[in-house]
Amino acid sequence: MTARDAIVVPTSEEPPELALTTPISNPGQRRSRASTTRAFLGKPATIVFLIVLAAIVTVSFIGPYLVGNPVTTSHPILHAPDLEFLMGTDALGRDYLARVVNGGRISLFVGFSVAFLCMTIGLVIGGLAGYYGGFLDAGLVKVAEFFQVLPGLVLALVAAALLGSNVWIIVAILALTMWPAVARIARAEAMRIAQLGYVESAKAAGFRGLRIIWSDVIPNALPPVLVATSMTVGRAILIESGLAYLGIGDANNPSWGALLNTAQGFMQTGWWLAVFPGALIFLTVLAVNILGDSLNDALNPTVGRVK
Amino acid sequence: MRAFVVYVLKLLLSSFILFIAVLTVLFFLLELAPGDPVQTLVGDAPISPEFRAQITAAYGLDLPAWQRYFIYIGNVLTGNLGYSFGTNNEPVLDLILSRAGNTVAIALPAFLVSTVGGIILGAVAAKTRRKWLDGGISGITVGLFSIPNFWLGMLLIMLFSLTLGWFPSQGKSPYGEPGIAWQYAVLPVITMATSELAYKARIMRSSMIESLGQDFIDTARSKGLSSQYVLWRHALPNALLPMVTVAGYSLGFLFAGSALVESVFGWPGMGLLFVDAIHAQNNMVVLGVVIVLTVTIIVVNILTDIVYGLVDPRLRVRFTRKPTVAAVPKEAKA
Repeated sequence: MTARDAIVVPTSEEPPELALTTPISNPGQRRSRASTTRAFLGKPATIVFLIVLAAIVTVSFIGPYLVGNPVTTSHPILHAPDLEFLMGTDALGRDYLARVVNGGRISLFVGFSVAFLCMTIGLVIGGLAGYYGGFLDAGLVKVAEFFQVLPGLVLALVAAALLGSNVWIIVAILALTMWPAVARIARAEAMRIAQLGYVESAKAAGFRGLRIIWSDVIPNALPPVLVATSMTVGRAILIESGLAYLGIGDANNPSWGALLNTAQGFMQTGWWLAVFPGALIFLTVLAVNILGDSLNDALNPTVGRVK
Repeated sequence: MRAFVVYVLKLLLSSFILFIAVLTVLFFLLELAPGDPVQTLVGDAPISPEFRAQITAAYGLDLPAWQRYFIYIGNVLTGNLGYSFGTNNEPVLDLILSRAGNTVAIALPAFLVSTVGGIILGAVAAKTRRKWLDGGISGITVGLFSIPNFWLGMLLIMLFSLTLGWFPSQGKSPYGEPGIAWQYAVLPVITMATSELAYKARIMRSSMIESLGQDFIDTARSKGLSSQYVLWRHALPNALLPMVTVAGYSLGFLFAGSALVESVFGWPGMGLLFVDAIHAQNNMVVLGVVIVLTVTIIVVNILTDIVYGLVDPRLRVRFTRKPTVAAVPKEAKA
């Protein structure tokens, strides 16, 4: 759960952390959309984890209406999982299934909204920096370096401790610390695309830079940016769960990580309190990461075994 | 040689600027924080406005923000990180240094385990021709990469401490005894090393595949060298180059991640101090830990970049010799 790029591509002569220009995809090697979809769905693991992720997301957002009230305390306390209480009950006699399902909504909301914000900021700033270069570009490199020195988890902890910790502040802080990872991919792609023939001809036809970025650079930079964004979902969920585990977050609306914070005190008497929320964080992040890898393989057919 | 000195000086300068940037961000966060520090100091007791003004002046809080900013930067640069709000009002730096050793005691073994393990796993996955082995290692690394490591720590405690009773679950030594007992360190080190090991194995695998695909590998093979020799003497050293940077930078992330791991195991290091200070709203200690962490990461990163410059033959050549551009004879052109 570290804040840095998904994969460093070590091809340049410079040390990898300076090699911001290395594109993660190979120009001219891209597949058509239909064959990309086929390559993406071709592996059984992809299908399985697509279903897993879809199930987790569906249950988390519809489930709260099905599983009952997560704050009703009228059940037996620390009741082990059985057919009546599928995930047992907690120390206050609350149905743990209801609490876990509710927690999922918060964890997933943080993961996906942080990723969406990162993609938006990353595309705009990365696209501008890569296309125009110069001052903006140098600034982006500096900001990326800044977050390499001050890890996202630490900055998020400090900011949440000093400024307070509701869900919105945590989403904002995570997006703020994680967008450079997406932006540097977008930047590398924009630099590559800016050299291509269709951009040259768009320039020759008199289109303005912003228009070219919007209609040529961003759509074509999207595939690798999507891969980087998919990695952001998993990292955001992991960092949020870590923050919540340390007690930073909305106490009235506990996410999976916050449930684990409480579970820490019941490792001897209630193993289920720790096992279920953690397993769901693990499954969700695993599904997102494997889908991200498949997406990467489908979009970059040349990456893989050479010999 | 001169090129190398310039390289290092540039590195030092940009690192210093980065450090000041981090301090600036911290100062602004502290300024934005809600609450009145004077009110916190005097508590709920009613005090006269004169006394309040006296306290405000004593702490320099009557000065404008920009003046306090420069005072703050100056203090930090001279090693004064302020005083803890805790019972003894200890200097923050002393408090942190007394804990730093404990963090190093688990972070360093975790660093070694994850680096060596990651290199071996990644190299094996890249060179094997057995599909199941490569697939298996890749699957395991994605799995380890996706586990929240504090949850892994909880699982390890439940299995190895509470059920099997092999290792203690909390603290660094039996109650009241000084020093560190190794049984106490086993589980924290494993927990800390896991995700870093997975990350390094992934990097190593793609780096090794890349290296095996280079032209010089074909050249070495066509010279008749054995494939083992080519693997160990040609492919591996090349694949290890990016690992220098990845490994060096990972040390910083291990220190940063200590907040989570130390909380799971009640390990009294810098990370636990950090978390406790956050809950006690002991702001000077919170900022102090971040500053010490930042300095550590910056220093490690500088050393990493220097080592990289010395190890990579391409950079080494650039440092030791003047770049010689092959002059094209004029006659040949025509």
